[in-house]
Amino acid sequence: MKITDASVCPYPAGDSTLARMALEAVELGFDSLVALGEEDSQSRGLEVLRGVVISAASQKEVIRQVRKPTVRAADVVFVNAGDISFNRAVVSVKEVHVVRNIHATRRNAFDHVAARSAADHGTAVDISLAPIIQYRGRRRQRALQRYADILTLQRRYGFPLTISSGARSILEQRSVRETRGLCALFGMTGAEVSEALSSIGRLVEPARPVRVVG
Amino acid sequence: MKPRPPAMREKRRYILVRILPYGVTPDQKDVYLSVIEAATSLWGDVAVGLAQPAVVFCGEGYAVVRCRRGTEKDIATALATVTAIAGERVALRTVATSGTIRALRRRIRPIRPLPETGEVTIGGDYFVVYRYPRQKVDLVEKGIMHQKSLFFTETDLEER
Repeated sequence: MKITDASVCPYPAGDSTLARMALEAVELGFDSLVALGEEDSQSRGLEVLRGVVISAASQKEVIRQVRKPTVRAADVVFVNAGDISFNRAVVSVKEVHVVRNIHATRRNAFDHVAARSAADHGTAVDISLAPIIQYRGRRRQRALQRYADILTLQRRYGFPLTISSGARSILEQRSVRETRGLCALFGMTGAEVSEALSSIGRLVEPARPVRVVG
Repeated sequence: MKPRPPAMREKRRYILVRILPYGVTPDQKDVYLSVIEAATSLWGDVAVGLAQPAVVFCGEGYAVVRCRRGTEKDIATALATVTAIAGERVALRTVATSGTIRALRRRIRPIRPLPETGEVTIGGDYFVVYRYPRQKVDLVEKGIMHQKSLFFTETDLEER
């Protein structure tokens, strides 16, 4: 079971290099992390997976983008969530691993239909800690409401969750213990947090039936 | 005023936090104001009033936050949402929680920059290089106020 930070944005998008973020992640109790927009993923003391984010307005555009060589080379494919019909469609795209930015969508943008579809196709929903840490007041309240709603659906339908810091700097990375505390704000239990932190490994290498060779 | 007998005093907990980035030395009052702002924003006036958070020590890159026993988890969560102290970007990392300040002082390991410093130019900006143990390198932009900081490693710097 690998504890993974599901997305960080290293330098030049942020102010910390991937190597430095990897150093900090080890100190914070992580075994691996997913770096967005990073070309090289050589070993830095922990496993670094390459992530790609797709921003699209329609399912067709997502399908077109996942065929690009840069996206095919990525370990984890994220898609920014959109409106209700987009989310329902995108969770069934085979190449998409995670739907992210769910806190920025409208209230019912990810509903029970999308949740059931996500559970059937093994598509995860990302919970970013950035809105809980960075935002204040109404925006944070709205993010907490959205996450609580996602958690209710997850408990009912059983689709995977991932937890990401969305850090652009080492100052935005949080430890596993702090992650547990922050996720407890919207009702996530310690076991659910552990499950969510380790789900990237299962998304990248899903369990398959045993094949007898020879 | 005669102090209360020990059995009647409120039980307290102390949280040791490391202040990042290294080399930042905020004022104790500024740390307190940031902690209170973060805690009040997250838990509200009632909960924070009952938790009675206070900063009892600040120095050597660490701070000790006091609170009432039973509220330490809530305050530690609030500490994770502190993003700035006196307008400067920081992070507070919880190191340990204890019933005595003395136990926490034993956990303090000051991190000081290594003697070799230097200068480097990145994207036309001049940065002062501060090296720390474990190959960590902090680059602080040359200037008077609101300098940009970059967080590299020794290898990253050599590759440039």
